Amino acid sequence: MAVYDLEEQEQLDELKTWWKQYGNLTTGLLLAVAVASAGWQGWNWYQRNQSAQASAVYSALQQAAQQNNATRVKSLAGELIDKYSGSAYAAMGVLVSARAQVAAGDLKTARAQLAWAVDSVDDDGLRDLARLRLAIIMLDEKAFDEAAKQLVKDPTPAFAARFGELRGDVLAAQGKTSEARVAYEAAIKQSEAQQKLVGAEATPANSNYRDMLRAKAEQLGSAQ
Amino acid sequence: MFDAVRNNKKVAQIILAMITLPFAFFGIESYVRNAGTTQDLASVGDNKISMQEFQGALREQEDRMRQQLGGKLDPAMFDTPAMRRAVLESLINQRLLALQSNKNHMTLGDADLARFIATVPALQENGKFSPERYAALVASQGLSKEAFEQRLRYDLAMQQVAQPVGEASIAGKAPAARWALAQLEQRDVAEVKLLPETYATKVTITDEAVAKYYEANRPLFELPEQVRVEYLTLSRDAMLAQVAVTDDEIKARYAAKADTFKEAESRRASHILITVAKTASDAEIKTAQAKAQDVLAMVKKSPNEFARLAKEFSQDPGSAAKGGDLDWFGRGMMVKAFEDTVFSLKEGELSDVVKSDFGLHIIRLTGIRPEKIRPLVEVKPQIQAELQQEHATRKFSEAVESFGNMVYEQADSLQPAADKWKLTVKNSEWLSKGARLPAPFDNAKLAGAVFSQDAVTHKRNTEAVEVATNTLVAARVAEHRPASLQPLDTVKESIRKRLMTEEATKLAQKEGEETLARLNKGEDVKLAWGPVRSVLRAAPAGFAPDAARAVFKTDAAKLPAYAGASVPAGGYALYRIAGVKPAAEDDPRAASLNQQYARLVAEEEFTAWISGLRQRYPVKVNSAALEKK
Repeated sequence: MAVYDLEEQEQLDELKTWWKQYGNLTTGLLLAVAVASAGWQGWNWYQRNQSAQASAVYSALQQAAQQNNATRVKSLAGELIDKYSGSAYAAMGVLVSARAQVAAGDLKTARAQLAWAVDSVDDDGLRDLARLRLAIIMLDEKAFDEAAKQLVKDPTPAFAARFGELRGDVLAAQGKTSEARVAYEAAIKQSEAQQKLVGAEATPANSNYRDMLRAKAEQLGSAQ
Repeated sequence: MFDAVRNNKKVAQIILAMITLPFAFFGIESYVRNAGTTQDLASVGDNKISMQEFQGALREQEDRMRQQLGGKLDPAMFDTPAMRRAVLESLINQRLLALQSNKNHMTLGDADLARFIATVPALQENGKFSPERYAALVASQGLSKEAFEQRLRYDLAMQQVAQPVGEASIAGKAPAARWALAQLEQRDVAEVKLLPETYATKVTITDEAVAKYYEANRPLFELPEQVRVEYLTLSRDAMLAQVAVTDDEIKARYAAKADTFKEAESRRASHILITVAKTASDAEIKTAQAKAQDVLAMVKKSPNEFARLAKEFSQDPGSAAKGGDLDWFGRGMMVKAFEDTVFSLKEGELSDVVKSDFGLHIIRLTGIRPEKIRPLVEVKPQIQAELQQEHATRKFSEAVESFGNMVYEQADSLQPAADKWKLTVKNSEWLSKGARLPAPFDNAKLAGAVFSQDAVTHKRNTEAVEVATNTLVAARVAEHRPASLQPLDTVKESIRKRLMTEEATKLAQKEGEETLARLNKGEDVKLAWGPVRSVLRAAPAGFAPDAARAVFKTDAAKLPAYAGASVPAGGYALYRIAGVKPAAEDDPRAASLNQQYARLVAEEEFTAWISGLRQRYPVKVNSAALEKK
């Protein structure tokens, strides 16, 4: 027994010296971890809370959009932009609002809100959609150069075909027939590439979309 | 071993700490959650779609389709690999949306959830939310209220995510117009067909070529195994003719089921209705009552004028025009207060003013048909048929087992069984193995049995096969022809014809393509062009899809332009495009095309967005598990 006692004594001493040497460091580290964890929880709570509030505004906005109340949609989208600009709801609200504004003929508001989304939204997909729709409105307003400018930067590959189509539409509207045709054909290739990447089962409707692109491209052949 | 631990204390401590950490932070689920992944059908990001979940979704889809088709759904049509894949894809999409919604901390507040539930039309009663209906709906899903609301919350959060993408899509006037312009373009086209028949004379098929084809495609010329059989059908219907029903039986049944032949009392009445709404005020009720009393007085004064007065005063749109007549009705068909009055009146008697849910009635009873029991003579055929069915069913079910035994035990003839049950042995046509066979041999089990070793070589009876409900068939091979290869001489001509067509088609195709190239070079080629027809891209009537595609694919900047396409039935068609009619500015068809375009674009944007999500959260499909049932 004594042998073990001695050994235990030795271990105890070892532990004490170790604690003297690293005690503060250990406590400090533990504290830091605790604070970081609390902070992380807090941040998550804050985000959830913000999200819950934004969700309520967004729901109201969806409802107003359903009732074709474009003015209310506009002000609710404004509220999302002002108070919850970091939340995904702001971007979503803007997209829903833009559609409602276009339907109500208020292209100016639609443009302003989409332009905000193009500059400020983090989510790639939603940002690309905002940019695309902004360009469509510009095209409809015959602001060809502005529309073309929105389309210069390549979007995420998933939206490449849609962007290509719109480039073609803008070019065709400008009378640049052969360049438009090249743009449509590029869009067809992009759509095919995307379908190959994701799998045909996941994108069954793509071939209809490509037929549409083909029709647009071919029509230009007879329009010179 | 403990020494080892003691000597390497530091190492042991580190390992211990590493084991503890995950428990401290993530709990034990992190170890358990991903267990048993072998049955998972797909993974989406870190998320799995289990076999169980998939089966559930498949069932739901099946129910939906069955409802749409009104209960008629062939399981074979439904359970195809394509359908399974499509159901899985929609589950994957749901999962992607859920992940996206989760990542953005999306949820739906209690107030919004409550508002949504309150506005579902199916949950409303008289324009108001009905808690009872809601409870019933939740119960029918087999869920607790909390679980149901959680699921709904999750679904709605997914909808929140999806709406800005698909539904809020902006198609744009200019982009839509550009497509409409293309779809509504018309081209004036003349056609000339180069048909294989024209080239047949230029083709010679040698005997060697025919022989070579025969050798290379022997399976094509094989005749399948054939049998001609005798067969016996034992069915309940056949028994029907063999059973007799005695008059005593019919009488006994009539006595036993007297209740069912009773016809309850019915009465006929006319009424005059002064409507009073349920929500009517006291004053309104009083006015109505006064009016009803007035009418009653008039009726009493001139009882023969009831019909005329009903026409004039009754506010029952159904009966007023018929002088208030309601025709015959029994108990339980009218509202309580009305019925009670009618069944207490004597024939021809007039009631006082009676109040019901509809308003105030003045009723005259115009006829009574007392309760009566239908006499035996009248219901005899019905009872007889019923008894006959019962006897036949009994006789059939008694026969089923002994029939099976008899054809098995006396395996060299069907006659004994035929004699015993008074059936006739029938002869079939020649039946080819593997071909579509006439009834009752369209039953796979019976078809298998007649071509079995036992039936063919030993000429034994087949077992009795149930080919339909209450129908058994046993068969026996009478004649047999083994599979054989048709000799070359028999099929020579058909091979020659086939090769001739093939070669001629090739020639036509080749000449067509060469001619097209010459036309495009601007050479003058004499061709028998048909009449010029106008063809619309959106609906190319009278043109094969390939032909229409070729015509519109061709650059028509310089006219005439030429196109060519293979004819589906063989040969090659050339097209001369003589004119292009662009779409008119105000074409009325443009509106529906614009809508179609908007749908197309919304669909494309949604698919694109989903495929973007697929890149963010990698999707893996376990195809092996999907194909396995």
